[in-house]
Order: sequence, then structure tokens, then C-alpha cells
Amino acid sequence: MKTVAEILKEIRPEFDFAASKDYIANGMLDSFDVMTLVSTLDKNFDISIQGVDIVPENFRNLETIGALLRKSGAKL
Amino acid sequence: MQRVDTIGAVFAALQQVKTDAPAYCANFFPAPQKLERWIDQGELFLEFSPGAVFFFKMDREFWRIYFCAANRDVLRRQFMSLTAVKTEPMVIDMLEYESTPDGLLPLIESIGFRRYAKLCRLTCPGSAHLPSSRSDDRQPVYAVQEDVPGIFEMLGCYFDRYAEQLPKLSEVEMAVENRQVSILKHDQTIAGLLFFETQGAASTIRYWLVAEKFRALHYGSALMRAYFAAHGATRRFTLWAMADNDLALQKYRHYGFTPDRLTDHVLVNERIPE
Repeated sequence: MKTVAEILKEIRPEFDFAASKDYIANGMLDSFDVMTLVSTLDKNFDISIQGVDIVPENFRNLETIGALLRKSGAKL
Repeated sequence: MQRVDTIGAVFAALQQVKTDAPAYCANFFPAPQKLERWIDQGELFLEFSPGAVFFFKMDREFWRIYFCAANRDVLRRQFMSLTAVKTEPMVIDMLEYESTPDGLLPLIESIGFRRYAKLCRLTCPGSAHLPSSRSDDRQPVYAVQEDVPGIFEMLGCYFDRYAEQLPKLSEVEMAVENRQVSILKHDQTIAGLLFFETQGAASTIRYWLVAEKFRALHYGSALMRAYFAAHGATRRFTLWAMADNDLALQKYRHYGFTPDRLTDHVLVNERIPE
């Protein structure tokens, strides 16, 4: 199983995700990237992220993504 | 088809379709700010079907259609039952990575859409050695509101309204207000423009254009070099180009852009003439 950081690096290798607190405001993830990320997280963690949770607030940084994964039932 | 009045209605629709749908498929990747604008301007409509939701966005004299479906079978079945697809001119964008083995294009074609254009995304890392302005470059300026009609007309003349997501007049006004359009004038006429969107460390070139009679005067390169010079902190540049426009692709490669495998297949229905 890949980590969230590894998945992010695959989607956008040019950015240092560890150094940012807001991937959306910093332009590191666009809306297509977010959907790609959702799809990859679903498969990787065997979960189904809910439609209402696909909002920018949940994809701002590693902490918010981790919280979303826990809420969605992922075993981290 | 019902008009969407709140962003909450969009997310509720997504929720209804995506819940417990491991084979969920979609071509709808809404950025909240863009969604809000569409809703505020009364341009977004939706239609629910069991297991799927379709969004219709007004664009000039046609519709752009987006979908979210629990799986492919549901998508095919519900898509075929949509009355609007048979009566209205429709355009659909399908974003896929090149060589995706199980893409949705054949499904969309099987329900009556035909391929119209293909765009490829090109990116350029901000860390690359970017060309800087030359001392003999004409210096572009940011467009002002009085330039808006000219910019709008140029975009309509040189770009494809079905394939290239042309902005409405109000969007051009907003971009000018936000200093996202740089222009070069020859006498009093707009000779060239570069229309971009920058957010944080990423910037997208939406349109780069020199009017035909002003080509070979190096206006295009002056616009591009000034743009790069103004974006020293940007980490990633992006643009979309027609995949068959070899001349444009060659120019973008010259500035360090390379295809990143993401493609946008634009398909249209039979209501849009050949």
C-alpha cells in the first residue's frame, strides 16, 4: 500500500508536498488532480470517499487528507 | 433538466451517485469558484437518473455536458435515455491519460457522439531555464477594460468555440480586472495577447495569440518572455494545445513545454454540424 505522500508525488512530481500547508491555494492540485487523487485513494485504501467530502478543504495538506481517510474508514 | 441554484445541490447530487459506487466514473471535476460563477449566472442545469447525474452548462449556442455515474453500464443506459442529447447541440470533454486501456471514449461514441478535436496538456517546470526578456523586445502591458471587446473578438476569431472553452465577455472582463491578460498593441490595434491564470505556484496559459497580419514581428515571443519574467516564483506552467497543431506544439517545445500524457478528447453530437 502506498502512502498519501507517495501518491501525491506520483500525481505531481514537481512539487514538494511536505513543504506546503495548502495544496489548493498554492496551485499544487487542480480540480482534475483532486479527482485523480480521490480515485487513487479509494483504490489504495479500499474505501469510497463520499461525494460531499470532495471539497477543497479536505485536500489542503497531509493532515486534512489523513483526517478524510480516517473518516472514510481507511486503516492507516 | 432543472436549474442548479446552489453549490450544495451539486455536492448532494455527487454524493447520491458516488456513495457505495466503487466503479464510479465521471468527467465532472468542478472547481468550486467556477461552479459558483456558473450557478450565479444561471448557466448550470442538472438531470438526475437512477445511478447517474448529468450537468448541462450553457456555452454560447450549445451545451457542455458533464456526467457522474455509478458505473459504465448505468452511464450508457442513462445517457441514452436523455432527451436533451437528441434535441440540443452538445459537446462533451473526456479527459484521459494517453494509452489508458479502459477509457470511456468508445462508450461515448457508441451513444451518438463523434470525435471533434483532441487537445494535449503540456507542462513546463518553473525550475527550468526560462527565456528572459530581451532588451529589444516590445514590452507588453496588462489589458484594460477598454481592450475587452477587442480581446473577446480576437479569441472568437482564432480559437475553436467547441474545443477551446472560450471565455464569455464577462469572463474576459474579470480576467482583465485581475491582470491576467497581457497585450501588445501595434498603433492602436491589439496585435497579440497572452491570457493566463495563476494560482499560487502554478500558472496556466489559456490563450497565446498574435493576429495574422502582425506575425513575424516577434510579438509572440515578447509576450511569452515577459510572461515568464513575471512568473519567477511559479513552479509549474501548464497549457492545452490542439494535438494536431504541429506549429503551435513546436513553439511550445521551444519554450520548454512537453506533453504530460493527459489528453482532452472533445466530442460533439449530431446536432452540431460537420
